[in-house]
Amino acid sequence: MSLQWSGEQVVAKFPDVQANTMAVDCMGVWVALAGRRAISMVNLKKPKEKPLKSARQSKWDVSCVQWNQVPSHLNLFVTAYNQKLDLHSWKDSNITSLCSMKGHSRTVSDVSWSPSDPNKILSCSVDTFINLWDVNDPRKPVRSFQTVSGAYQVKWNRLSENMFATTHEGELRIWDIREGTSPVQYIAAHLSKIHGLDWNPNSKSELATCSQDCSVKFWDINNPRQCKGSLNPGSPVWRARYTPFGQGIVTVVVPQLRRGDNSLHLWNTARSNPVHQFVGHQDVILEFQWRKQPEGSVDHQLITWSKDQSLRVWKIDSQLQKRCGHDMGEMNDSSENESSQGGRESVSQNSMHENDLETDHGNKDFQRQMSMSPDSVVFQQPQTLEQEFELMNTNIPHIQVEELDAVKRTCSVSAVSRNFNIGLRMQFPENYPCSEPPTFEFLESNLNYDIKRQLHKVMLDTALMHAKRNTSCLEPCLRQLSLALNQPYNFRPEERKTPDPEPARPFNLSWHPTKPPYNSKPSYMAWHSPSGLQDINIPFPRTSGARFSAAGYLVVFGRSHEARKGPSGTEITPKALYDLTDFASKSRNRYPPKLYSIPFHQNYSISPPTPVAENVSISEWYMYRPKVTNQPKGKRKHRPKESTEVKPVLAPVKIYDSSCLLPIQKELGKNYIIDRSNIPAMCSHNAKAASAVGRKDLVQLWSLVALTASEKLKPQNNPDDELPWAQHPFGKEMIKYLFDFYMKIHDVQTLAMLVCVLWDRENAIVPPPKKEKASLLPQSTSMEYVPPNMDNPDFLSSSTDSGWPLTSHLQVHSTRPPPHTSVQSRLPSQHHLSEVSSHPDLANMTVGVLKIRRSNSLSCLEDSFEDYRIEDEEGIKEKESERQAKIHENNCRLLDPSAQNQYDVFLMSYADILFHWGYTNNSKLVLKFMTHLPEPHTGIEFGVQCFHCSQDGRGAKCGSCKNLAFNCSICHIGVKGNSMFCLKCGHGGHTTHILDWFKENSQCPTGCSCRCVEAKSEITM
Amino acid sequence: MVSVINSIDTSHEDMIHDAQLDYYGTKLATCSSDRSIKIFDVKGGQQTLVTELRGHDGPVWQLAWAHPMFGNLIASCSYDRKVIIWKETNGSWGKLYEYQNHDSSVNSVNFAPHEFGLLLACGSSDGSISIISSTGDGTWDAKKIPNAHSIGCNAVSWAPPINPGDLLDPSGRHQPIKQLVSGGCDNLVKIWKEEDGQWKEDQKLEGHSDWVRDVAWAPSIGLPKSIIASCSQDLRVIIWTNDGNGWTQKVLNKFNDVIWHISWSITGNILATSGGDNKVKLR
Repeated sequence: MSLQWSGEQVVAKFPDVQANTMAVDCMGVWVALAGRRAISMVNLKKPKEKPLKSARQSKWDVSCVQWNQVPSHLNLFVTAYNQKLDLHSWKDSNITSLCSMKGHSRTVSDVSWSPSDPNKILSCSVDTFINLWDVNDPRKPVRSFQTVSGAYQVKWNRLSENMFATTHEGELRIWDIREGTSPVQYIAAHLSKIHGLDWNPNSKSELATCSQDCSVKFWDINNPRQCKGSLNPGSPVWRARYTPFGQGIVTVVVPQLRRGDNSLHLWNTARSNPVHQFVGHQDVILEFQWRKQPEGSVDHQLITWSKDQSLRVWKIDSQLQKRCGHDMGEMNDSSENESSQGGRESVSQNSMHENDLETDHGNKDFQRQMSMSPDSVVFQQPQTLEQEFELMNTNIPHIQVEELDAVKRTCSVSAVSRNFNIGLRMQFPENYPCSEPPTFEFLESNLNYDIKRQLHKVMLDTALMHAKRNTSCLEPCLRQLSLALNQPYNFRPEERKTPDPEPARPFNLSWHPTKPPYNSKPSYMAWHSPSGLQDINIPFPRTSGARFSAAGYLVVFGRSHEARKGPSGTEITPKALYDLTDFASKSRNRYPPKLYSIPFHQNYSISPPTPVAENVSISEWYMYRPKVTNQPKGKRKHRPKESTEVKPVLAPVKIYDSSCLLPIQKELGKNYIIDRSNIPAMCSHNAKAASAVGRKDLVQLWSLVALTASEKLKPQNNPDDELPWAQHPFGKEMIKYLFDFYMKIHDVQTLAMLVCVLWDRENAIVPPPKKEKASLLPQSTSMEYVPPNMDNPDFLSSSTDSGWPLTSHLQVHSTRPPPHTSVQSRLPSQHHLSEVSSHPDLANMTVGVLKIRRSNSLSCLEDSFEDYRIEDEEGIKEKESERQAKIHENNCRLLDPSAQNQYDVFLMSYADILFHWGYTNNSKLVLKFMTHLPEPHTGIEFGVQCFHCSQDGRGAKCGSCKNLAFNCSICHIGVKGNSMFCLKCGHGGHTTHILDWFKENSQCPTGCSCRCVEAKSEITM
Repeated sequence: MVSVINSIDTSHEDMIHDAQLDYYGTKLATCSSDRSIKIFDVKGGQQTLVTELRGHDGPVWQLAWAHPMFGNLIASCSYDRKVIIWKETNGSWGKLYEYQNHDSSVNSVNFAPHEFGLLLACGSSDGSISIISSTGDGTWDAKKIPNAHSIGCNAVSWAPPINPGDLLDPSGRHQPIKQLVSGGCDNLVKIWKEEDGQWKEDQKLEGHSDWVRDVAWAPSIGLPKSIIASCSQDLRVIIWTNDGNGWTQKVLNKFNDVIWHISWSITGNILATSGGDNKVKLR
């Protein structure tokens, strides 16, 4: 058992007490801690003493315990377990069981003593009954109230003796024991389950409910339809209890949630904002109750019992009470000072929880008397330095006590961490600890002056504070030092900041100009000082990922196996960074040596007060672990100190070779050859390469390509000789099928190689940009085989559709009439025929047809028809044959030219991949087959500095002064035409002048002493 | 099967948020909550720390390598609202440019395809997207798309420099249009297009029911369609496809935890997804 104090709390740890509920008696002396194995009694006047235990023989946990509310029967308390209530009496350190009351058929969920009648107890259960018991007649309940749904909470009205309230899921019922068996009021209070209920101590008609729906609501039973007000703490509320002063209410979140929030919140109901947070418990708070204060006491005390097996007493001083709207009348200024000073200490005290657990302090007493609350625990103060040295807990993180010399009154310590190495000597004056602080001297350190000064100030401040109260300060000073070293951002212990937190200061780089400290965690909050809430829209950091590298690797990074999914376990990873900071603020006491950020939205005080500019790191999120319980004490002792520190939870970054998943092969990229001059050889080589990497499909493909491209199948030049192989089902169609297949599997390598082999850009019919020209080749027929000499109505109609004046013209004048005339006569257009018939010159009928048709598209030629015909007669023949050749050529192609852009992209993509692999030469080789080569480099362009205005420009005329920029150095006239100049000195002029000059001279005509003719050889272009 | 060829212990002090290999796969850059960026030489299985770049004052979220034709350049973005472009000159790394024109955490950086020049897109929690371009003479120019995503922009990704619509159009070659896709806290995936030097919203893809965490435009290998993958807090990964007739969506999968990163393989046939469950899935 150990005990520690801080400015605002008494902490008593009972590691051997297993209790899940707690009750404070009506005089505020005894605390009953009830668990399955025992009921332990703690005397609040002597909390350091071992609790008095009374073993229980039961397999049931105690679901609730409550003391009698009437002072005359203060030694009575009731425990509820399973379906029974047990009445006990506490006398002379003995628990006597008085009677047992059994009336429920299910587990008793709550009990309530009548505040006025010492004999009356209410109990409720999910069996739908609420029983009223008289302790004098425990055999059966005096009254039973039945509802349709189970009751979870029951509370007597504190002022009205016959009235009580019960909760049923989201509903609230108000009963009067005189009014029969049905409730007097129904209140549909919440949408989800009500966890807690409390009557206002000052008003008999008001009560508060708290619920899973994350709200606390206030009700007036006289007006059940309307909620009087509500608070929104943001998480499901387990209990909400009125403060005995002012208009405050204390809330605690539902313990099962384990959200890391192990603190109580104090609210001012009038302003519905939280005014204080009680931080310190390292696990969920199981129960909290107010301790009755003796008459005349200003302060109130809140007793909390937590799963961390510590009982804490929180002092609510007049300042806090005032914030809850409690009018104190006269305010004592010194109390504020006192508490804020206490607050500083409490920070340091807080950092030693873990260590304290390990060390049994036994009889050690702590330094300070709690002057503020006379009847609270009295601590013994070490009177002499010797005593202090003896009592000191030397287990301070990073600090090693080297020497304690009570005679010389000195103390030497060393602090070593990764970045610091400090030797420090403290000299204690004679009068210490009375009003004289010790002096501090740095013996050795690797810190610069500024930091030393800051550290010194931190310690001196602490020392002075204690000296003012005549208390010893060695340990607090060292703890401050340790804290300051651990937390490089902020040496100054913050003043208590309520309600306006000072914006966090950004990390000061000058502090460690060369190398920022390693253990510094970035402060997420520090960057949004004006509004930490901005983190709400910053996504939660990615802590794992996989990235395909362009070169076929997959980079995977993530968390190590030790890293948990987060404190919430099964939940989905939160979306915003805000969740992290929020979490950090709640779990800050998980890791005492480290302090965490307080979100800025919490503009209320926290006890113990904490520095604002703290750090939060993503690591903590993943390293959050529930507290290890039941660990043997001895084992713990040997645990290294660092075990409480968060270690980085990084898994090594792994690079995977993902190339096997890709349809492309790096080996092939290297080994493939492209040789258009000998395609069969190239194909067989590539087939071998493919078989070497196990791509059987590619072996087949290459042999197929070899066959397709073999000499035998080479198309004839004469279109009439035979059908080109491309038109064969195993020609173009098959290639198209292959392309589709490899496109489907994204094998850009094969696609590009096919393009390299089969695509012949040389005579590709590039559809020119201009429209008339574009119509040279009908687009719609490009994929079709167009027999050059056959009558093909489709072909023709498509060509006429696309407005083909020239082709029509050619057809008319073709020297091979039979097919064309037949085409003409078969022209489907009735319109044309009628026009033909109307034409006067029947001999030129077909020409007339042409003329009319042409007039539709090229009306400008209409008048000069005769000339046109004569002129074009020869040329037309040529063009016709050219066209035939082109169509034939197109038919001979295995690849459709209309997709040439796509071929280019295949080539480009593959070239890029080759480039990634580092095969730059192969990459360039592939790019050679592109239809549209990138714009060639334009080479060097010479700029001219204007002779007149010295502006840089291009071209003959200067852009700024509009004069001819280049002046001939011979005739001194601006050069417009050909010029010649020396690359070295830049002088020159008209070509003729310069040439003449250099026939006889070798030096520059300007006299700049440049030997221009010789200089020419120096410059290689 | 997929085999580990290198495992690098980064010894970062805090969580790693991104790791990227350079163009050739020889250098690995990692960034972390410890505010640093580390570059490792991983050529041939080695793992030598080349440099540790410090300059950010907050966790560094994402990295992007530039195409090697611009030199050894890496861009980083951080919680500290800064985007820093780092450059290697004669073996030593240093800051090349620092962009500070965002009002909140910058969550994503991405270099454009090199065909467009040295161009960097940054998405920030202030809702805007910045497109930073180098004019080549050491000065940098920034264009901003204000309020691209109303609550915050979480990811940006460039479109490949190929217009799928032009692939089967034989009438000459068109200049590729600069396009990028972004995802944000408004649950939308948006496609942006540069027209006459101005960035305009081209498409708004609605499909997710929660924040979009990452978007990735699939690389083009010459298929006549555009594909975008997006992942979201709603646990889903959606594949958006446009084959010329508008965008259609298909839910790839619904996962058990948030998916916060997606990455396409170079051939666009595999998508790697990773998320809060610390697992990587390939499909």
